[in-house]
Amino acid sequence: MSEYLVTCIGLTKRYGQKEALSKISLQLAPGRIIGLLGPNGSGKTTLIKLLCGLLQPTEGSITVDNNPVGPHSKAVISYLPDKMYYADWMRVSDLFDLFADFYADFDRERAENMCLSLGISPSDRIKTMSKGTKEKVQLVLVMARRAKLYLLDEPIAGVDPAAREFIMNTILTNYDEKASVLISTHLISDVEPVLDEAIFLREGQVVLHDSADALREREGKSLDALFRDVFRAQIYGGGTL
Amino acid sequence: MLGKLLKYDFRSMGKQFAFVWPAVLVLALVNRFTFGGLFREGGADIGLPGQLATGLTFLVYWAVILATMVLTLVFIIQRFFKGLLGDEGYLMHTLPVKTWQLIVSKLICGMTACIISVLVALLSVLIIIPVPTADLLDFWPELFRALGSQGVNGFLAPLELLLLILVSLVQCCLHLYLAMAIGHLFGKNRIVMSVVAFLAINFVVSFLFSSAFFSFVSLLGEQVTELVYDRMEMSVWGVWHSAVGLMILGSAAAAAVYFFFTERILRRRLNLE
Repeated sequence: MSEYLVTCIGLTKRYGQKEALSKISLQLAPGRIIGLLGPNGSGKTTLIKLLCGLLQPTEGSITVDNNPVGPHSKAVISYLPDKMYYADWMRVSDLFDLFADFYADFDRERAENMCLSLGISPSDRIKTMSKGTKEKVQLVLVMARRAKLYLLDEPIAGVDPAAREFIMNTILTNYDEKASVLISTHLISDVEPVLDEAIFLREGQVVLHDSADALREREGKSLDALFRDVFRAQIYGGGTL
Repeated sequence: MLGKLLKYDFRSMGKQFAFVWPAVLVLALVNRFTFGGLFREGGADIGLPGQLATGLTFLVYWAVILATMVLTLVFIIQRFFKGLLGDEGYLMHTLPVKTWQLIVSKLICGMTACIISVLVALLSVLIIIPVPTADLLDFWPELFRALGSQGVNGFLAPLELLLLILVSLVQCCLHLYLAMAIGHLFGKNRIVMSVVAFLAINFVVSFLFSSAFFSFVSLLGEQVTELVYDRMEMSVWGVWHSAVGLMILGSAAAAAVYFFFTERILRRRLNLE
């Protein structure tokens, strides 16, 4: 039994000729908030989709909670995708029913309270909601679970600062402290205060992976400044780490 | 878990057909008094406005029947394409269930929609042109007797036919599913590639079935011919029984192959981009 919640060994994903992830080896411990940081196209979403089984690796292996990706790993992962996954006909209460049916760790009362505080009624139709409200419902569903691993793919991209603050608060006040949260983003300054650990991805490879404090101490700058340095170097084709 | 998946797929089906199935029956009821009325004594004497109303209601009825059949086909395709390979797939493929359960749930739901649509259409015909209940009850024993007098097992023959229809329906649904699963392997033009895959599977399976049949006949040559003639002389039922049985087996084998590859593609090659 590994003490790590997630173990990836030699993980590679190719789309045709293009390599989205290249021989990634990672170990993530429980009880951590981890930033998966990198510019667009660096492989963040690919890594998250591989972890939750929406993509299959070209090479390498993944274990989550000591199991390969499958029904067991899916039962302990709570995944927030970067798109809406609702069926048109559903109401909020239908989604609560669905989550309660399939996930033993779904806390319905918590979900209802979260919706109440947002002014969303369980009888509201998904079809009639604004994009922002739909995103909030999806976040409620994901955070109302007592999962072991939360995979949040760009949860704060494309929303206004107030919504961003709400999302970060919801994540921080609702996740189980024994669980790990993997947040992918390129908006470092908004997540930096809460991160225990950071993974920097560049062109499908892990270029940095350490605790947030160790990185700040070693590099003598904030993660936000470090991110800008690392990826400015990439854009202008120079610089070393 | 399959039961839970079915619960949501059936609810989705209920929403989809909530209007169209009752609409067929209501229109059939209207046509019972308009179109069906023509067959009653003196019913043909309805004048021009009556004829126009009858024609119009009958036309609307057929339009809704056609819409039901198209909607059923669209439902079977869309529940798989959108539900497992589109955005909804992000939810379905992250549920703690096995891939085969996702496919079987869509299959059972799609087949149920198809069967209900056909039953609603048949019922609507019975509503329009009412057959006395006594005639309907007498029909089946009569049919069994008539078949029995020809040496056909009157009970088993309709059952075999029903089984053939069901197995063929499973084969058709899985044919569509496999075509969509293959189409999804391509990075671009997934819908076009699904259509190409559908036609290609159709071509390959027709080729294999006809090759198998002709190889079988030429391999055994006269022996088979004699065998077939012997059986025909022995009983019509024997030939019917063998022919339907072989068709059921062929259909079931094709369905099993389609299911195997669809499950394998979704489990090992899933690529929700």
